[in-house]
Amino acid sequence: MIQIMNWFSMVIGLIPLNRQQSETNFILDYAMMCIVPIFYVACYLLINLSHIIGLCLLDSCNSVCKLSSHLFMHLGAFLYLTITLLSLYRRKEFFQQFDARLNDIDAVIQKCQRVAEMDKVKVTAVKHSVAYHFTWLFLFCVFTFALYYDVRSLYLTFGNLAFIPFMVSSFPYLAGSIIQGEFIYHVSVISQRFEQINMLLEKINQEARHRHAPLTVFDIESEGKKERKTVTPITVMDGRTTTGFGNENKFAGEMKRQEGQQKNDDDDLDTSNDEDEDDFDYDNATIAENTGNTSEANLPDLFKLHDKILALSVITNGEFGPQCVPYMAACFVVSIFGIFLETKVNFIVGGKSRLLDYMTYLYVIWSFTTMMVAYIVLRLCCNANNHSKQSAMIVHEIMQKKPAFMLSNDLFYNKMKSFTLQFLHWEGFFQFNGVGLFALDYTFIFSTVSAATSYLIVLLQFDMTAILRNEGLMS
Amino acid sequence: MAQAEDAVQPLLQQFQQLFFISKIAGILPQDLEKFRSRNLLEKSRNGMIYMLSTLILYVVLYNILIYSFGEEDRSLKASQSTLTFVIGLFLTYIGLIMMVSDQLTALRNQGRIGELYERIRLVDERLYKEGCVMDNSTIGRRIRIMLIMTVIFELSILVSTYVKLVDYSQWMSLLWIVSAIPTFINTLDKIWFAVSLYALKERFEAINATLEELVDTHEKHKLWLRGNQEVPPPLDSSQPPQYDSNLEYLYKELGGMDIGSIGKSSVSGSGKNKVAPVAHSMNSFGEAIDAASRKPPPPPLATNMVHESELGNAAKVEEKLNNLCQVHDEICEIGKALNELWSYPILSLMAYGFLIFTAQLYFLYCATQYQSIPSLFRSAKNPFITVIVLSYTSGKCVYLIYLSWKTSQASKRTGISLHKCGVVADDNLLYEIVNHLSLKLLNHSVDFSACGFFTLDMETLYGVSGGITSYLIILIQFNLAAQQAKEAIQTFNSLNDTAGLVGAATDMDNISSTLRDFVTTTMTPAV
Repeated sequence: MIQIMNWFSMVIGLIPLNRQQSETNFILDYAMMCIVPIFYVACYLLINLSHIIGLCLLDSCNSVCKLSSHLFMHLGAFLYLTITLLSLYRRKEFFQQFDARLNDIDAVIQKCQRVAEMDKVKVTAVKHSVAYHFTWLFLFCVFTFALYYDVRSLYLTFGNLAFIPFMVSSFPYLAGSIIQGEFIYHVSVISQRFEQINMLLEKINQEARHRHAPLTVFDIESEGKKERKTVTPITVMDGRTTTGFGNENKFAGEMKRQEGQQKNDDDDLDTSNDEDEDDFDYDNATIAENTGNTSEANLPDLFKLHDKILALSVITNGEFGPQCVPYMAACFVVSIFGIFLETKVNFIVGGKSRLLDYMTYLYVIWSFTTMMVAYIVLRLCCNANNHSKQSAMIVHEIMQKKPAFMLSNDLFYNKMKSFTLQFLHWEGFFQFNGVGLFALDYTFIFSTVSAATSYLIVLLQFDMTAILRNEGLMS
Repeated sequence: MAQAEDAVQPLLQQFQQLFFISKIAGILPQDLEKFRSRNLLEKSRNGMIYMLSTLILYVVLYNILIYSFGEEDRSLKASQSTLTFVIGLFLTYIGLIMMVSDQLTALRNQGRIGELYERIRLVDERLYKEGCVMDNSTIGRRIRIMLIMTVIFELSILVSTYVKLVDYSQWMSLLWIVSAIPTFINTLDKIWFAVSLYALKERFEAINATLEELVDTHEKHKLWLRGNQEVPPPLDSSQPPQYDSNLEYLYKELGGMDIGSIGKSSVSGSGKNKVAPVAHSMNSFGEAIDAASRKPPPPPLATNMVHESELGNAAKVEEKLNNLCQVHDEICEIGKALNELWSYPILSLMAYGFLIFTAQLYFLYCATQYQSIPSLFRSAKNPFITVIVLSYTSGKCVYLIYLSWKTSQASKRTGISLHKCGVVADDNLLYEIVNHLSLKLLNHSVDFSACGFFTLDMETLYGVSGGITSYLIILIQFNLAAQQAKEAIQTFNSLNDTAGLVGAATDMDNISSTLRDFVTTTMTPAV
């Protein structure tokens, strides 16, 4: 499905051809991106300036129909031109950068999965749920229907020249939706990576649960390891105060002994030697069999990954966020006028003028499709946000459980704390948004719906009966 | 110190032309000579007197303008709907209020603005010591572009309105030039604010870039280490904690021990490699104070060791991170001070932008319906001039809001970059430093607001645009209703008139039936 969409958007000149290869013919890549907009502008000017062809020039087009078709056309022009300019501005570098970063991330994820012995999970992750296919199919059907309806009515009206009015009526909305589709695709890829990270973190979390019981055994067994803390007494103190008071009782006796040992211990060389060996042990925790702590060695990698994915989403949002703004605005206006025309015109004088019905239905159909796409965009952005939040939650959970690897080494404690703090910074810094104007999540739906309601209240007070009577549609 | 002072160019150097123009226009009271010779903004009594006299002159001229062009408004009051008249009345003085608030705030702040730039200069010096040099030349270019844009917009609005819409046969019409003064002065004042804000944003970005550079060099360093020691793959997964290199240095200092014998098991390979970095860091660490004063500190990348990473040395990097965070803190404080200095002008500008934008669109609607509009807003009669006016006004407001938002974002970004340092070094000590500093940064985010009424970020813009639309719809609806009511009254009156005429005619009938008879008899054949 995504392949079809990519291919289609290449054909109508929204993304450059050969976007993944760096060394291709420059002209060939951008030819489509220039031809289609020029063709669109030519059609737009032809209809608006030359008065040869156009919906508004037909005899059966009354004032309501004329107004709505003008609105639809100019709104589409605004949408299409802004989106095309931003697409031209984006060019191929973004896609290449995205792919490079994604490959980078995937490589690290695979490495982590190998460490965590989760290779088999990766296979299942590729399989999509039924809802996924259903959504794609549904969207496809909706778009096909919208295009079919428009093309058919225009063909009946204009005959073979129908493509000119089509370019200014439905095409801009189609192009806008496809760009949003690209956005959806990129966000879903990001969201998937977040999920994989969460899975890996969850694995560590579950292991921590299992590791919790033989904690004392571990402590006694690896007593030698404790010695290295004598080298850095400050960190021991910190570690004791921070790793939780619950374990302090267990620790206290041992600590005293260690401190005593430290006084006796004159040989600096020896302790530092121990320390080095300890680090070696810690690094090799992945292959150490007796402890079985396989995946916490992933933690630094996972934290780095989380950071990288967030950086990737910042780039993606920077590219697609500005295109969201005109799309959402167009969706808003079309929906309001769709409801207005449907209730004030079509309910009263529906079926009397074919052209008026066509305009009304066009509004309704496109408001429905754009709303669907906008909803999916918002939903996916919200999902990605939630997934990234989830990882911080899981890390907190791990910290609360105080697994064995954390107690032996407060490096992990600081690492996790650092991660959650960083996430707090990220939360303040970034959220999927449209140039900062609005956050792309469910709150946006609420604000638009409330705004739409107040506008509709004002619009529905507008008295149409006099106009309709003037047009001879009402007796 | 003297070196650093010389090397850091004061930000105000770039403000020469802007200061000269603002001084002549009477926006800033500070001393011109001192600014020219020493780039200082200092109080001056003469400047204050000059500024107050210009202020009075502008107010008087503007009132004369309103009075002389108000003649046309009398007829408007009589003929048109009260809505248009009242809106015009309210908005007549808003430009003047904006200008007066700008000038009075500049008078109030005349001592403090100088301090602000002095603080920015100190920040520059501290940044320079940390190895990032601020380039102010882009700011100079920005000021010039903004000045040119302002002049182009003002002139195009003024000239096109004067030529197309003002009756320039009269001598008094030259007063129309005065109508451009408030916006011009306001824009000049806002250029000061915008450029200072932009400078702060650049400082934040410089801090971020320094942190990111630390991360990059460390990654290169790690790659280099990895390439040299050819460790087995499992060791690859994470770097051995870095503080041991630091400790090695300590041991070396204390007992002169052999490092090779310390790292004999796993780090034996890397121990040898770390001798060079340790030697270098000892150099700059041991003689830190000396080095700072004797020679300009090298930029982060141009060290004599190609792949030496500062993040490896926790103590040194702690100092650096601490300094950077303090500078960040100071910039945040400067941002707050800047915001406080300009809080009233910003508030009045936002109010002006909102009201003028709505009013201009409303008057444009009125003009398309062939209703008369207040004479001060005559630019709304022409859609083209309206577009210029709207883009000028909204451009001013939106740019300030966008810049504030970006600055605030850049300040938030610092925390993320700081954590990257911690993650990439993967060192316990460094994690502790980073966590501590990050909490500090979380509490020190800078948010710009207009007198605390609303924050200057893009969400406010979204809300305001929604507000403008809904007010516009309401205004247009009222206008429509008023027009319909007026039409209804007119038809009712004309009906009354005809009825009265008919009544009079019937009265006349009784009185002079003979005349009517005469008329009818004479008229009927003609008909």
